[in-house]
Amino acid sequence: MTTTPTRTRPSASRTRGGIGESVGRPDGVPKVKGEFEYSSDLHVEGMLWGATLRSPHPHANIRSIYTSDAEAMAGVFAVLTHEDVPGRKVYGMEIPDQPVLAWEKVRYQGEAVALVAADHPETARLALGKIRVDYEVLEPVTDAETAMSEDAPKLHLSGNELRRVDVRHGDPEAAAEVVVEGEYEVGMQDQAFLGPESGLAIPDGEGGVDLYISTQWLHVDQDQVAESLDLPPEMVRLTLSGVGGAFGGREDLSMQIHACMLALHTSRPVKMVYGREESFHGHVHRHPAKMRYEHGATRDGKLTYVKANLIFDGGAYASSSNAVCLNAATFACGPYDVPNARIESHMLYTNNPPCGAMRGFGAVQVCFAHEAQMDKLAEKLGMDPVDLRLKNAIEPGMKFPFGQEVPYPAPVREILGRVREIPMPDEQEAMGRDLRELPGGVSNTTHGEGVRRGVGYAVGFKNIGFSAGFDDYSTARISLSIEDGEPVVRVYTAAAEVGQGLVMVQAQIARTELGVENVVVEAADTRTGSAGSTSASRQSYVTGAAVKEACEKVRERIFELVRDEFGESDELAIEDGNIISDGREIAPLMEILDDGEISEIVEFHHRATHPLDENGQGDAHFQFAFAAHRAVVEVDVELGLVRVVEIATTQDVGKVINPKALEGQIEGGIAQGLGLALMEEIRIQDGEIQNASFTDYLIPTILDMPPVKMEILELADPEAPYGLKGVGEPPTIASTPAIVAALRNATAMELGRIPVRPEHIIGIPKKPPDELPQPESSRYSGIGRLEDRRET
Amino acid sequence: MRPYKYVRAQDVDGAVATLAEAPNAAFLAGGTNLVDLMKLEVMTPDMLVDVRRLTSDRVEGLDDGGLRIGAAVPNSVLAADHKIRSRYPALSQALLAGASGQLRNLATTGGNLLQHTRCVYWQDVTTPCNKREPGSGCSAIEGHNKNHAILGASEHCVATHPSDMAVAMAALDAFINVQGPEGERRIPIEELHRLPGDEPQRDTTLQHGELITSVDLPPVEFFSNSKYRKVRERASYAFALVSVAAALDIEDGIVGDVRIALGGVAHKPWRATKAEEALRGEPASEANFRAAADIELEDAQPLRDNAFKVPLARNVITRTLLDLSEEGR
Ligand SMILES: Cc1cc2nc3c(=O)[nH]c(=O)nc-3n(C[C@H](O)[C@H](O)[C@H](O)COP(=O)(O)OP(=O)(O)OC[C@H]3O[C@@H](n4cnc5c(N)ncnc54)[C@H](O)[C@@H]3O)c2cc1C
Repeated sequence: MTTTPTRTRPSASRTRGGIGESVGRPDGVPKVKGEFEYSSDLHVEGMLWGATLRSPHPHANIRSIYTSDAEAMAGVFAVLTHEDVPGRKVYGMEIPDQPVLAWEKVRYQGEAVALVAADHPETARLALGKIRVDYEVLEPVTDAETAMSEDAPKLHLSGNELRRVDVRHGDPEAAAEVVVEGEYEVGMQDQAFLGPESGLAIPDGEGGVDLYISTQWLHVDQDQVAESLDLPPEMVRLTLSGVGGAFGGREDLSMQIHACMLALHTSRPVKMVYGREESFHGHVHRHPAKMRYEHGATRDGKLTYVKANLIFDGGAYASSSNAVCLNAATFACGPYDVPNARIESHMLYTNNPPCGAMRGFGAVQVCFAHEAQMDKLAEKLGMDPVDLRLKNAIEPGMKFPFGQEVPYPAPVREILGRVREIPMPDEQEAMGRDLRELPGGVSNTTHGEGVRRGVGYAVGFKNIGFSAGFDDYSTARISLSIEDGEPVVRVYTAAAEVGQGLVMVQAQIARTELGVENVVVEAADTRTGSAGSTSASRQSYVTGAAVKEACEKVRERIFELVRDEFGESDELAIEDGNIISDGREIAPLMEILDDGEISEIVEFHHRATHPLDENGQGDAHFQFAFAAHRAVVEVDVELGLVRVVEIATTQDVGKVINPKALEGQIEGGIAQGLGLALMEEIRIQDGEIQNASFTDYLIPTILDMPPVKMEILELADPEAPYGLKGVGEPPTIASTPAIVAALRNATAMELGRIPVRPEHIIGIPKKPPDELPQPESSRYSGIGRLEDRRET
Repeated sequence: MRPYKYVRAQDVDGAVATLAEAPNAAFLAGGTNLVDLMKLEVMTPDMLVDVRRLTSDRVEGLDDGGLRIGAAVPNSVLAADHKIRSRYPALSQALLAGASGQLRNLATTGGNLLQHTRCVYWQDVTTPCNKREPGSGCSAIEGHNKNHAILGASEHCVATHPSDMAVAMAALDAFINVQGPEGERRIPIEELHRLPGDEPQRDTTLQHGELITSVDLPPVEFFSNSKYRKVRERASYAFALVSVAAALDIEDGIVGDVRIALGGVAHKPWRATKAEEALRGEPASEANFRAAADIELEDAQPLRDNAFKVPLARNVITRTLLDLSEEGR
């Protein structure tokens, strides 16, 4: 290392692009311009196209599979069935119960049965048509409650109960002065990511394979693929390719093992891309739920007890249903101080499409129910619904019904109080408004006739990260070196960027910790150790902490060099590529590092969690995040049309790492919550999906999305890096119940099932008879309501 | 998709002649409907005869003062045409309420009229459907049928016609000009689309090889007082649950003449002639509008999931007429 005398420099300048700044997405402009390379755009010379034959039946025995005709087709290179799976014939993240390719039995419509590799996607598709599968069709079990009954056919050897979690807390006999009961139902929601399942498998010529893939968790894919290929994991190398959204739907495998099998079998690269309809069959969905609730309270509005019976339809295979069942049980009472609770959470196997992870993961369904119950209770008590919530809000130091102490921060009271204080949107005279500001919008259905406004509140919470004893960790390697005369930091992790903005977060942390602006976040692959899943809102926390700690170690090594060289004993820092001591620049990094590279690896494990005991008690979660929402809606009660006027939200995020990205997460989460409240549902009949397209499965458009007012709290979690909390899921949880609460407020209807669509509102107003419109009342008010009054 | 032959004819005669000899061929216009259905293998023509450049793509005046719309006029162009907007506003509104900007650029007048039902069972080749496979049964009658017909359905088929444009044209007394192997015909739109009856496989009264060349709108003054209203499940980009096209002529508070057509309720754009009849010569009042709607909907036979369409249709009819009476006064 050369020694140059310390020069006088201007006072230290700050490193740009660190935490707290709205650093832009590197992939933002290419995505908007259509130039971003998604996994569906992958291409290599000489590649083949894979395709999957799927079961048309939700439940059937397979008598035989006849592949010769397909094999004989020109351009077909391989036709594979379960017999060709080299290793473990089943896969699954929690319980390996799902066949890589079905044998003997299919348990849902769309289950993979055979594979084809061909020189053209169309050849592959035509070849699928030539595979003959002889099915003995069986009666499907299409309802979770039916699956529970003794005489239902057993879909798996273990029976139809996939998981049951009971939470028993306090006095089972507790009696209350005021009781409300309710039944609630949540339809099956889809993640509706835009990039279909896709990837490219390239054989390495030595028996191994490289897979370029869209996923949420490279290593859990790698383990499962290797098991089924009967290869050691190091022979199955995964690299993340451009991911077009995930929301939980890419946590399970789709075409990973299939593409690798075809590639190894043909010794050619094989690409697979699902079409949209196939995609609906190719990933898990949000669990539909039926929930019965009973809340007891004192006359002055303190909760006495909560009883709940939750029934989830897990579909044909386990996926992450275990954890969803546990989550639902632990969050069933909401973020409230509940002295006595009896929660039964049931997860059933059926012949419906498998359900698993989706943004909110078990918290979404119960939040819809417990918040409806709180409103019902408030009404019965004659209390303001927010006041009732404030009165029962949980606080740090209290115990959750599942026995865990509520950690600091848990600002339920504060976020509720604040969301109420956010100014209400103006209510303009309906007549004469811009069409887009009326229910029905540009469909031109009203000038304000029949329009009623409603306001609703909800608060929700959820765990961040994996729970209940799971060893949840992330690995990061940080290297610092001089390239072209400039210090450069490279960040290596296997953490999946799925659109949420982790690439910015990683770079921002490295800049802040190492004082170097030029940070390169390398493509994620399995050469670096596992980063865990990009789910449960956990990556900023867990991978963020790994990156931060690895940076700290690198920094410490630099400081050692500085101390050795300059004998500095003051506290050192790095800003904008310079070593700073006592506000003074003492040397540029370049001089300290010279040609050397400093590299450190950290595996960060968060605080241990513990499984629940048989009474559903235990320290199951390590961090909780809270958000409150207020929805203002307008309903055209005559046509059943709804416009969400505005959502206001307060969320505690611990620390804002990237304000713009945070805003994006909150708005996107609310859009998904709005979708579940008003339109999104996979319709299933006899186990078959009826609307596997984006023409028939409706998600909100930009015209459906209201403005969002947000207020962010930064109450640092003492255990988390920078005090941050996961932010991805909370916006989705309470936005749905807030919108439905506002609809109830506008219509006086029960609305116990979501999504609430026009047919649920039109023609069935349950207003007491004395409020019937009078003949001489305003011209528009009476349209169509009298005759349609039907008690259902 | 099944392999097929693609042919571009020189002129209308050539296209008609080609189809006349190919029983399993189809005309291709914008392709926004047909190609999707071919991908699903719901439709499996072995030959496509591209007609997009064969017919007029312009809106022109007729001697009688009416307008002639070429079959190849894109939906977006038709919606923006100033003569249409001022003289037949319901048509422009209907077009703009349909599909998306990109689709409307490609979709044609002829193709839009002849677009096929969105019944999910018809589109799903693994389920029985009398329209796709006569005699195999109707899956919708016992299935998810909230999007299905409440009027004019049969025990063989409860599908609805999805077009917004055709509903407006039905209200506006359009005539369809057709050229076929047997020469030219002019069909009132009312007679173009069929009810399913016991031949649900036939959507229209057109014979194989008959090409729509243009659509005529008659010169009716009060059609400038017309409106289209569409109820759908999200703010844009969704088919109608129920829609209404109406035109109203009022003099001194009395209904001189009226046209009403409904979308989303039947196998064809549903011309509400009973309601029209009940209103002619009566005071233009809310009570009368509602009563007229009730008369039309008396015959409604809702299925399990679509009873809501009855009050919905009544409310939209009433509102649209009220709106027109307000503005046409
Ligand atoms: C996602 C999506 C959303 C949509 N939403 C709506 C909506 O909200 N409202 C709505 O009304 N429509 C909607 N549509 C349908 C759209 O309007 C039609 O696809 C379009 O109008 C069809 O026109 P085309 O020219 O593309 O017809 P094509 O697809 O080319 O043809 C359709 C049919 O007409 C036949 N044909 C075409 N031209 C002629 C002719 N001149 N003579 C005889 N036969 C002919 C073809 O053989 C074919 O059977 C939607 C479509 C899509 C894909």
